[in-house]
Amino acid sequence: MKKMIQPEFIQLYATASSQRGVFQVIADIAIENNIASSADEVVKGLQERESQSTTGFQDGFAIPHTQSEAITKPAIVIVRTETGIDWESFDDKPAFFFLSLLIPKEEAGTTHLQALSSLSRVLMDNHARQKFLDAQTNEELAELVEQAITSREDN
Amino acid sequence: MVRRKIVAATGCPTGIAHTFMAAESLKKAAEEMDIDIKVETHGQVGIENGLTEEEIREADGVIVAADKDVNTERFHGKRLVEVPVARGIRDPKTLIKQIVNEEASIHHVKGHTVKTETDDSKKDKIESVSKGKKNIIHSIYKNLMNGVSHMLPFVVGGGVLIAISFLFGIHSADPNHETYNEFAAFLNKTGGLAFSLMVPILAAFIAESIAKRPGMVVGFIGGLLANDGGAGFLGGIIAGFAAGYIIILLQLLLKKLPQSLNGLKSIFLYPLLGIFLIGVVMTPLMVPVQELNTSMMEFLSNIQSTNPLLLGIVVGAMSGFDMGGPFNKAAYLTGTALLAEGNLYFMAGVSAACIAPPLIIAFATVFFRRYFTKEEQNAGLVNFVLGSTHITEGAIPFAAKNPIVVIPIIMLGSSIAAVLTYMFGVQVPAPHGGFLVLPVVTGAIKWVFSILVGSLVGAVIYGLYRKKIANNLPVEE
Repeated sequence: MKKMIQPEFIQLYATASSQRGVFQVIADIAIENNIASSADEVVKGLQERESQSTTGFQDGFAIPHTQSEAITKPAIVIVRTETGIDWESFDDKPAFFFLSLLIPKEEAGTTHLQALSSLSRVLMDNHARQKFLDAQTNEELAELVEQAITSREDN
Repeated sequence: MVRRKIVAATGCPTGIAHTFMAAESLKKAAEEMDIDIKVETHGQVGIENGLTEEEIREADGVIVAADKDVNTERFHGKRLVEVPVARGIRDPKTLIKQIVNEEASIHHVKGHTVKTETDDSKKDKIESVSKGKKNIIHSIYKNLMNGVSHMLPFVVGGGVLIAISFLFGIHSADPNHETYNEFAAFLNKTGGLAFSLMVPILAAFIAESIAKRPGMVVGFIGGLLANDGGAGFLGGIIAGFAAGYIIILLQLLLKKLPQSLNGLKSIFLYPLLGIFLIGVVMTPLMVPVQELNTSMMEFLSNIQSTNPLLLGIVVGAMSGFDMGGPFNKAAYLTGTALLAEGNLYFMAGVSAACIAPPLIIAFATVFFRRYFTKEEQNAGLVNFVLGSTHITEGAIPFAAKNPIVVIPIIMLGSSIAAVLTYMFGVQVPAPHGGFLVLPVVTGAIKWVFSILVGSLVGAVIYGLYRKKIANNLPVEE
């Protein structure tokens, strides 16, 4: 299976300062890497999901995600902004670390979905989040995420 | 200790992220609270880790954190907490507590309701009998904790107010003394009032944990009786448990009364009979407490001139044992009586032994920070203030959580402080005030040294104990 996370999917010093801006960065990365066919569709999908309930959780982390026909292969896009953006997170802290999960509409296999669910689980771990924050390069961060989604611990 | 079991189901509309974050969050919280949990996830891939009928039956309760239907009919007759998925991610401990503390209501599904009354009460009965045996230690701890956590703010708020009043001079609250200051007297009185509620609140909420609101009422009165009788916080713990079980007993006895009298029971019969019974139980208990007090004071006066080692151990152990209870008070009152006779040595040891307990707690929360909760860390810092001003009670909330282990540690630390004080021949002419009276202490540096040594030894042992019960893992991030 093709890797869902690659160093090219990561932008560590994004200048976006609004929710819309972050979604645009995510969508642009998706287009550049052939993850999606339409940037507008990706932005729209992320916005729709966000309007249902916030994807921000704590310590500046948020996981905007969407499932859309415009997405051609499952991927994890990571954007880290220089400034915090209000994301209505649970702890009221502004978000700056966005792990975006992009899933094709017709995702048949469960493998990818399970990988994403284990990433979600890993994110609840304070140490794991700290490691993500400490990562200095795209490669380092991609490696950490790769570990998180492949080491599925069963219940 | 038998573990509590909880089952949970999580789900969100997309079923990609939050379902699993909530599941993980609940699992982590349960792990920290030493509770078994199984979480069923309703994600996009379908239901994973599904709950079996048996697991649901055996669970103490069910948590549903979902923004979609997770088929809650299965949970008929169980305690159920139902919240949006976000609460499951953000606030898992509160949800679990609602099950563990039995605050969550029983889930009734329409159509099942006809037979629930008899069914449930029967099942409850069987459950409570078998659980009662297995979970005794756990529930005692839980009840104690409920009392302690409600008592803590009274100790901290009242204690600090009293400590501030001492800054105006240790006799500043006494209208007949030359240093009398109206504001200090006001602080002292207000803080003292909060302090006097410490034991009643402890008893009330131990009882509340056992028998809900009827228990609280009776526990409060029991605690007041213990307080009036000078039985200290150990008396309060006894009162709390007695009150809780009095209500449980009454509930059993009054079970036969017709349903139509249910309202009358809770507003009239439980308070009336409960308060009467706690009086009957506590009053005779208080008589030996007072006799104990008198005979201990005689005993202490008799050994006041024996060797400093023995005297220090006795005084330290007594002061540290119940921190404001009859033993502590006997030592303290003997000290003031001897002070009036011109013996300045005896009081020095008592003061040292009374100052050490809060300092033991304070140092432990600093040196072994990781093994205390945030709340405890903050209360620990306040104990520096309380210890320095001879307000022994600051240590009570910590001791009450596990008296059997913590009290001996405190007694040891207090004894060391007292023994050293007597060996150095320190003289303290004031009966209270802690380090604020240092200017009039003869051998002030030796005195502070003695207290610090005792406190640090106690703090290290207490800290290591906390580390051990936390399995070497930090309590909170």
